[in-house]
Amino acid sequence: MPIKRIAILMVVAGGMGLGGILTLLLVLFIGRAWWTTPFEVAGFGGAPEQPIDFPHTVHAGTDVLVDLDDNPKLDDNGDEVHGLGLNCTFCHRNVDKGATASIPPVEQCVFCHKTVGTDLPEVMKLIAAWDNKEPVAWERVHRLPDSVRFVHEPHIRFFTKTGNLLPSGQQATIAANVCSTCHGDVAAMAEVKQVRSLKMGDCVDCHRDYSAPTDCTTCHY
Amino acid sequence: MGAVVFNGCLIADEELQVESPVDLPEDLVTGIDNWYATLCRQDQEGCGIIVRVVEGRAKKVEGNPDYPINQGKHNVRSEAGVQALYHPDRITEPLFRDSTSGTFSPISWEDARKKVTDRLAGLEDKSKFLLVTQPLRGHLALLSSEFVQSYGGKHMAFEALERVTLRHAIKDVFGQDQVPDFDIENSRYLLSFGADFLSTWLSPVKYAGAYGEFRQGNRKRGVHVQVDSRFSMTAASADEWVPVKPGGEGILAMSIIYVIIMDGLGDSGVANLLTGGKGFQALDAFRPDSAEVRDATGVQADRIIEMAHAFADPNNQPSLAIGGGSAGAQTSGLFNLRAIYSLNLLVNNVNKAGGLFFNPPPPLEDLAKPEVLDMGVPASFQDWKDVGQLGVLMVRGVNPVHGLPAGANFGGVMDRADFVVAFSSFMDETAEKANLILPEHIYLEDWGDDVPDPGPRYETLGLQQPVVRPFHAGTRGFGDELLLLGKDQGLHDRLGLEGIDNPTYEDLLKNGAEKLWMEDRGSVRAATFDGFWNGMLQRGGWWDTEARSQAAAADAVALDTNWPDVRIEGPTGDNTYNLIPFLSNSLADGSLAHLPWLQAAPDPVTSVVWHTWVEINSKTADEKGIREGDMIEITSPSGTVVAPAYVHPAVPPWTVSMPIGQGHTAFGQYAEGVGVNTLSILAPLTDGDTRALAWAATRVSLRNTGKRIDVPRFEGNVPAFETEKGKIIKLALPK
Repeated sequence: MPIKRIAILMVVAGGMGLGGILTLLLVLFIGRAWWTTPFEVAGFGGAPEQPIDFPHTVHAGTDVLVDLDDNPKLDDNGDEVHGLGLNCTFCHRNVDKGATASIPPVEQCVFCHKTVGTDLPEVMKLIAAWDNKEPVAWERVHRLPDSVRFVHEPHIRFFTKTGNLLPSGQQATIAANVCSTCHGDVAAMAEVKQVRSLKMGDCVDCHRDYSAPTDCTTCHY
Repeated sequence: MGAVVFNGCLIADEELQVESPVDLPEDLVTGIDNWYATLCRQDQEGCGIIVRVVEGRAKKVEGNPDYPINQGKHNVRSEAGVQALYHPDRITEPLFRDSTSGTFSPISWEDARKKVTDRLAGLEDKSKFLLVTQPLRGHLALLSSEFVQSYGGKHMAFEALERVTLRHAIKDVFGQDQVPDFDIENSRYLLSFGADFLSTWLSPVKYAGAYGEFRQGNRKRGVHVQVDSRFSMTAASADEWVPVKPGGEGILAMSIIYVIIMDGLGDSGVANLLTGGKGFQALDAFRPDSAEVRDATGVQADRIIEMAHAFADPNNQPSLAIGGGSAGAQTSGLFNLRAIYSLNLLVNNVNKAGGLFFNPPPPLEDLAKPEVLDMGVPASFQDWKDVGQLGVLMVRGVNPVHGLPAGANFGGVMDRADFVVAFSSFMDETAEKANLILPEHIYLEDWGDDVPDPGPRYETLGLQQPVVRPFHAGTRGFGDELLLLGKDQGLHDRLGLEGIDNPTYEDLLKNGAEKLWMEDRGSVRAATFDGFWNGMLQRGGWWDTEARSQAAAADAVALDTNWPDVRIEGPTGDNTYNLIPFLSNSLADGSLAHLPWLQAAPDPVTSVVWHTWVEINSKTADEKGIREGDMIEITSPSGTVVAPAYVHPAVPPWTVSMPIGQGHTAFGQYAEGVGVNTLSILAPLTDGDTRALAWAATRVSLRNTGKRIDVPRFEGNVPAFETEKGKIIKLALPK
């Protein structure tokens, strides 16, 4: 029966077509998932634009500050101006307490900025947010996929324990010594960007090096 | 796999941002919880609770391990407090009803307050101002009392199944204004008449904790006999359940007294006083073997004698008798409870471990004033019927339109009143009839305190603090509003707040706490007042275990030896039954019907959820051809409701039982249209002495409508597994 045969052919072809489309969709999805989480694989992309141009160099760094043309900034006496060298945990207070390192509340910025740098345009944005009681919506730089639970606290606890040396070979004595292991030298970044891939392989490598658990449920729970 | 694939979906823009909060709360750590101590105000027990707060949001309620009443335990009603906080149907701004169109529209708080004060000041007859609240205790009672006095008005406390008769009986038998602390924990023989103390009666969380010790503590196991016209959760837990005919509880108690005295058991001096010196012959009408007693109680003579002997047996001391619930909700309610509580005098258990302890008055002088204590006493049904034409009616946090039987016609009272103000968080049947609705904070957002009643036998002042900021910008605290509304009437001076600009309710609480601090005693002591206040906030209150009642047991008062006037109203003959309404284990009197967790919490006896059902004896049901789920029309002289039948063998064949609390026509999406209002068909009978509603004195007839539904219940929907060899349910033959 040719009609029956044609019908079977059509169903098979249609089924294959549908299957092909579904497979393609699946591949696209997985591809997208792979290339976009965490945001930047292999370091391309860059620092996202933030609502307020917050320089970690000024706050956390200790190097001589430079202007846009790389000339050192000088104070009224003609001396070079250095970064403040604030401890990371001064602002990211929860890093040794909970899952997230936490972004400081606006009020904490205003502790200093109600008197410091009030004439700078970026600081004025901050003061405006404080006056209007508006939160500041920062762009995320580091973000792990929803399937991963990363908790800062145990990592800080591990590396600040005497005898547990950082990958750099140094002994961390305070929480702030640990941050750069994954986040890079943020103190030297005018704009923060991601420096490690932070994909699963990256996590597992480090966990293996330190004999940390590598069960799936360590992170996926 | 799914987790990986769905990472490929688009990520919402907000997720790619991380917000700096504006403020820096010192105790806010992302992802770390804080626990704040406060009080549960979901029911009258007033448990101390601790609430888990994460990033400024209340997440979970647990019992406060320090609090004297509940000692770390809590109940299903406390648990659902967070649902009241986040309820989608909360009223979030003041609403004023247009008199012509009858619709509500928003109004500012300033305008709303002005409308209230204008109305109150404009009243010619000041006694036409009535404030209706739940029974109030602590500083809110003081504040409301002074507020009402400053405007020359009246106050009435509302409770659906009021405990007026119980209070009268306690006063008559023990000479006490406060309900005593019943020491169930150390009792050896507990005789309970109608008091569903493990579920809803007085202080169930406390009693349930004590009951665990009573049964499984490190000593001889106590025996519990429940005399009850319904197979309640407490009856189900008892060693023995004695189904008594409604109205026969007092007669049964008198019969037990008769046996105790006749057989020379118990205290002979007390026996003498109880019988007016005439001996057991004075109680001759209550001989257990008389036909009248058997007919009235439905209990055989040998059972009565057995109970009497067990209660007074020296080997069973200390023994304890308690009564309430349906036992006091009869036309002979006071007679019943006086007889029941007099049993305690016969075994001399007052102020003794395993008996009952008197409670001291509230710790502060201001809170112990008679007019302040009166704020905690519910009005009787007769009082509600006597409410006349009102100028200004102010209702706070209660729903009398739903909770009073039709006989009181509270809806009519509201319609006739010139101006009705409702402090309410939800649009319930009462708020719906108001001219002005002022939305209140939920108790988790508000200040308060409490002197528990019954207390833990020593002075206690629980403290309620806001554990979260108000969830909605447009709600206010009731206490704060009263202070504003009474400002021009000199309310601040009356309360000793004259030194403070714009005082708040918190200031009033601090004023009281300062006096406690100066007494330098009890659970919190500190060098400074700030230290004391913080200590109170941390522990959830203040208590002094040494400050106990000084009152000794009063001399026994002679019992009324006349046969009581037991009246039951309703149809008689075939297919008629005594209706025993009961408080729902989760919804209480219906004031919690708006919370879906509580709607979905299975009833402990039937496991029914989200409904009102009628419990019918299985044999009776067989005879009448009624199966579970048949829609039954229940008719009393006051009205008719239709509810599905729940058939089970432990319903006394002469009764049917129905939970109260459902059948709301308003009260948010989870309460409306669920079940029927059992209270609406109650006959308007009252106790002869106290005029309290005799809510268990209605007789009803049943008619099968022929319609049928699946009763929503938990039981039977989940398979039971044997965890050890033997029957899943052990059956024992009745004695």
